Amino acid sequence: MIYNWFEERLELKKFKAKFLAKTFPTHPSYLVGEIALFSFITLVLTGLFLGFLYEPSVKLVSLFGSMVPAAYASVVKIDLMPMGMIIRRMHHWSAMLMISSIILHLMRVYFTSAYQKPRELNWLVGLSLLGISLGAAFSGYLLPYSQFSVTATSIAYYMVKSIPWVGDWFSRLLFAGPFPAIGMVPRFFFLHVMLIPLGIVALLGAHMTILVKQKHTEPRTNIGRPEGGNGKRLIGIPIWPEQAVISLSFFLFLLFTIAAIATYIPINPIETYGAPAPGTPVMRPDWYFLWVYGFLKLIPGNLSFTIFGGKITPETIGGVIFPGLTFLILALIPFFDRAKEPQNYNKSPFARPFMTAFGLGGGTFILMTAVAGYIDVLHISPDRMLVYTGIATVAVWGIVYAVLSAVKKKSGL
Amino acid sequence: MVEGNQTEKGITRRKFTLGVMIASMAGAFASLFSLLKVLAPASKGAGYVSTIKPGDRLVYAKGGNAGSPVKASSMSLGDAVLVYPVGKTSNPANLVQLIKLNESDFKAPTKINLTDQGFVAYSAICTHLGCTVSWVKNTANPSASITECFCHNSMFDPAKGAEVIGGPAPIPIAQIGVKINGDSLVFTSDFTGPIGPQV
Repeated sequence: MIYNWFEERLELKKFKAKFLAKTFPTHPSYLVGEIALFSFITLVLTGLFLGFLYEPSVKLVSLFGSMVPAAYASVVKIDLMPMGMIIRRMHHWSAMLMISSIILHLMRVYFTSAYQKPRELNWLVGLSLLGISLGAAFSGYLLPYSQFSVTATSIAYYMVKSIPWVGDWFSRLLFAGPFPAIGMVPRFFFLHVMLIPLGIVALLGAHMTILVKQKHTEPRTNIGRPEGGNGKRLIGIPIWPEQAVISLSFFLFLLFTIAAIATYIPINPIETYGAPAPGTPVMRPDWYFLWVYGFLKLIPGNLSFTIFGGKITPETIGGVIFPGLTFLILALIPFFDRAKEPQNYNKSPFARPFMTAFGLGGGTFILMTAVAGYIDVLHISPDRMLVYTGIATVAVWGIVYAVLSAVKKKSGL
Repeated sequence: MVEGNQTEKGITRRKFTLGVMIASMAGAFASLFSLLKVLAPASKGAGYVSTIKPGDRLVYAKGGNAGSPVKASSMSLGDAVLVYPVGKTSNPANLVQLIKLNESDFKAPTKINLTDQGFVAYSAICTHLGCTVSWVKNTANPSASITECFCHNSMFDPAKGAEVIGGPAPIPIAQIGVKINGDSLVFTSDFTGPIGPQV
């Protein structure tokens, strides 16, 4: 009866036929993107809790007899509350999971060439989501205002400032003035809890809308299956009720997993780092920034020059040009590896030796720059590490390309 | 009737509306620039500007005796501490690394006239990305100890004017003069060069 009341007003049947009948492919690799979505929901939920308690201010307050910034004190107090530390760890672990799953999702799309016509646009929206998620993670670094936060943010400030031409202005816009500005913590708080999440929601909306409009690509095993009517229909299960049930149970399982990890494994223990103080301990960023961090260590310090009045320093190369170029190359991929006809089936990575080798070679390069973040522990000099990085990249690229080409030739794919 | 009149005069309603739209959009964009300017506070006192004056006494920057004068007699060969000028500890640009070596260890471009009985002082701000440098003591040969920034492993040789001997730092760390005064130390000069990241 209640259903009828709503049905008469909202025409739910029509809505269901139009939107909830969208078909989902059933291959498990298609769930990776959902992990990212669910991690984001977990981030919002845990963030709501933290938002009630966090104080975005660097004004000095007394905590256990010593004067520390209010932001730091408020996070220590969160950790001391019942459930507080678990919620804060869940927040940080979800962020890691979100970025991991976005990268895995990107790899799935890349290696099955799902970015080809007509899905180039959604590839770009997806890349923007990766970029903005890294921004969300980064803006969260500063908020506890521990020794770690301040060091990481200071490094980022000088990286932004090293952008040629606009760096000085842009760094002041982002960090509310020259580092360390009083207004920096409130500004990052606003970016972290308002502007960036709004951006993520908008991009997610675009990502999902385009997905529903264009439909998923299908596993190759579906080619020629009679249910598909010769490729006219996507084989899978509808959003309502089948996929919805799978997704909901998957979400709850993920929430349980994050809570379990957060219960037992500490992350970002700010009490260990302490409040900001002179002196910089050995510290490394979270794993998803290791590549930039490691690459910064590899660039020789004397590599600096001026071009059209813009100053290019080692920091510009490591902190701006390197990550910028990586994203640019990723963005251009669908426009180089093109398909004439709209593609609705995944391609096998074995059938595309060049693109697969390019992806694995590029992945190796990024991985090696992340390893370069540990050269002080591994006792490798930057020059030698640069050589190792080059060798590993070329070797993986070459071997994968040679092997896949031979396999392709032999099997006559 | 009305439409006929419009075409005769040359400016149609459609053209007029379009013109107004473009003009107001341009105005809106132009105002955006002044908005962004307000949001990016000026660089007044930007970067690291030290306020150390000759004659300022050196005090410990951290640890249990933070704020009390540095004792010259407490430092032996190959030791280093982070120090501030007394009463000026809130400015991170004033953070200095005080190092004790042998008088005979110093080589150019170290400014020997700015050292006193093996005490030499450099800015503690790494010239790469602004982290505070650390001291890596060589226990076997204390004179060969080096200054290293643990952020990206830039290394500096304190016996050679803090020249870069490894890692991504672009320039040496600036020296600052110190001399012994009783059992404590005082600054005797300004920094010899720029301090902090060179971006």
